[in-house]
Amino acid sequence: MDRFVDLAVSAVLLAGLYATMAYGLGLIYGVLRVVNLAHGGVIMAGAYLGWILHGWLGLDPYLAIPLVVGVTFLLGVLTYRVLVRHLPRGAAGGPASLLLLFGVWLVLRNAAYLLFSGNDQTIRTAYSTRAIPLLGSYVSVNRLAVLAIAVVTPAALQLLLKRTYLGRAIRAVAQNADSCTLVGIDVERIYTITFGLGTALAGLAGLLSATIFSFNPGFGSGELLKSFVVVVLGGLGSVFGTGIAALVLAVVEVFAILVLPSYLTAAVGFVMLVLVLVFRPGGLFGQRVLG
Amino acid sequence: MSTRNPRRPYAPLLLALAALAAAAALPGAAAAADKDKILIGATLPLTGAEARVGGFFKEGYDLAFEQVSKAGGLEVGGKKLPVQFLLLDDTSTQASAVSLADRLVNSDRVDFLLGTYASHLVEAQSTVAEQNRVPYVNGGGGATKIYKRKFKYLFGLISPVELLGGTLMQWMDEQQKAGKLPKPAKIALLWENTAHGKDFRKGVSDFAGKSGGAYQVVVDESFELNARDFGALLGKVKAANVDLFLVDAHLPDYITMHRQYVANGMCHKVVSYGARGGEKDAVKALGQENVNYVLSGVWWNAQLGTKPGPSQEFVKAFKAKYGGREPEWFQALAYESARALFTAIQQAGKVDREAVRAKLASMKMPSLLPGGTLEFKAEFGQQAQNSFVVQQNQPDGTSPIIFPKDVASAAGVAPNPRCAK
Repeated sequence: MDRFVDLAVSAVLLAGLYATMAYGLGLIYGVLRVVNLAHGGVIMAGAYLGWILHGWLGLDPYLAIPLVVGVTFLLGVLTYRVLVRHLPRGAAGGPASLLLLFGVWLVLRNAAYLLFSGNDQTIRTAYSTRAIPLLGSYVSVNRLAVLAIAVVTPAALQLLLKRTYLGRAIRAVAQNADSCTLVGIDVERIYTITFGLGTALAGLAGLLSATIFSFNPGFGSGELLKSFVVVVLGGLGSVFGTGIAALVLAVVEVFAILVLPSYLTAAVGFVMLVLVLVFRPGGLFGQRVLG
Repeated sequence: MSTRNPRRPYAPLLLALAALAAAAALPGAAAAADKDKILIGATLPLTGAEARVGGFFKEGYDLAFEQVSKAGGLEVGGKKLPVQFLLLDDTSTQASAVSLADRLVNSDRVDFLLGTYASHLVEAQSTVAEQNRVPYVNGGGGATKIYKRKFKYLFGLISPVELLGGTLMQWMDEQQKAGKLPKPAKIALLWENTAHGKDFRKGVSDFAGKSGGAYQVVVDESFELNARDFGALLGKVKAANVDLFLVDAHLPDYITMHRQYVANGMCHKVVSYGARGGEKDAVKALGQENVNYVLSGVWWNAQLGTKPGPSQEFVKAFKAKYGGREPEWFQALAYESARALFTAIQQAGKVDREAVRAKLASMKMPSLLPGGTLEFKAEFGQQAQNSFVVQQNQPDGTSPIIFPKDVASAAGVAPNPRCAK
């Protein structure tokens, strides 16, 4: 029973991390229909931003959230305005956007190598290894904080999308951009803000990951892969689905150790991805557009 | 109108082949001829994932070449020949390591090669040296599978990781015999799913298997490199109630796993992460109090330089060149690789690949490595078999050598005092 509780706690905490990493990717695809391959690079950039703010200014990583989110939002806005908006919309822009954003990722990664070298870095705070007892198990304070942010983030996104004019405009653009133009919505502005928001969410994920893992300029590739699995499982464009898919993936991966060797547990998620693509191509919660 | 002789339609082709064969023979001929300098090539991962260690290896190579340069070159066949070093960046990728080695041999015409760092790069790159019959001396590839290919031109200074697992077990065995560890002792053995991890596992498993029941491996699991969560794996270890927690991991996984280990409130009588333990980065990331008494085994330690000998000379020279900074095993292995090649060239008495290869294969050189002698025995695929030194992190921030006894500067502590708190 103790073991079951341990595994369940591990799964929920891991789900928090996966969900945080995937929200940004899902949001950008849901509205712009662009698969943001630079997502991994921004996760890495978010980790380094947190590291700089902590190391140079002594700023706690959780207090650095507004700054990191702000800077990565601007990075997203810049990327959209300078690069992405010149791409053709729809299916024609697919391969071009993949290549372009993959290029952005490479630029970010190599810039980090130049600036910070390939050394592994970490953010260590007074509570980095602190844990609190919960249900007879120990829970890392950091992972608990990540979980809390993973729960708060979609709630805030949902509020933004449902209760504000901007959110309604984003949902409208996601459904039919041409009609939005007819009713006076500035579609380009909405795209810009959405790309900025998605990028900011990736930056946030990077910052939170940096409180748990060591990282180097190559950081983000594994995270991008997991984000893909979560977003596709949840149904591209579904914020709620992303959160649930993160939980499903984490539970399956963690509990797989009861029947599989440890090194195979990571593959379980990819097997699930293939099965979902074959039997339910829209994802577990697909066909819904942004809430 | 064709001017070809219809009776000999293949003549131009044969001529071309003959010309190519002659051209291919030229590098060997050039190497054997009298030379006015020795050209040695190498690649290192100066950028990319292994850039940090690549930089350390460069420091070791640079020091070795600087010393030769200051001495006016190498004494070869009665005259001093200057040595030129051609170093390229393989960007931590196998493809670059292979293509650049090919360039060094066939375009830059180097006489000999020194190795890159990391087993997977050495494994790929050494095939180029073997195909071109160029002696290749490396201190960066430790996986035994590299040497099981029985290449003739490949020489490795880095002892197999199997020995690392075995050496750690030897120390624990001493503690067990002294009544400090339980008998039988239950082991959780976690290893990264790489050649490095497999070798470590074999070293520990073989020792446990031959112990007559003194050690039982009750958890034996591998994990992927750069894993993001060890919660499930650590849960399995916790449930198994083991005495010894033995892991083989690279630095990022050591940090991630040990953070979770500490946060889970876990503690074992002996904790080891293989070759990882006392790195400054790890201490910074985990906190001194959380890495105390972690056991690690390394190929070389600067503390070996406290007694007169090659290690002391190396440490002194390194500190003089690099502003008083203490070298780690990376720089020592790189430096010693270059020194082994220089020694073989001098003993061969000529800049000839075959003669130098033969000297490397038969040499027995006084060395800074533990044991004091370096040799490349054919039975081990020309991989050195020097023992590891075991060190243990102490609360005062030091990591003294605790085993083998002849080089130990402190007594090891077991069982882990952290568990008593």
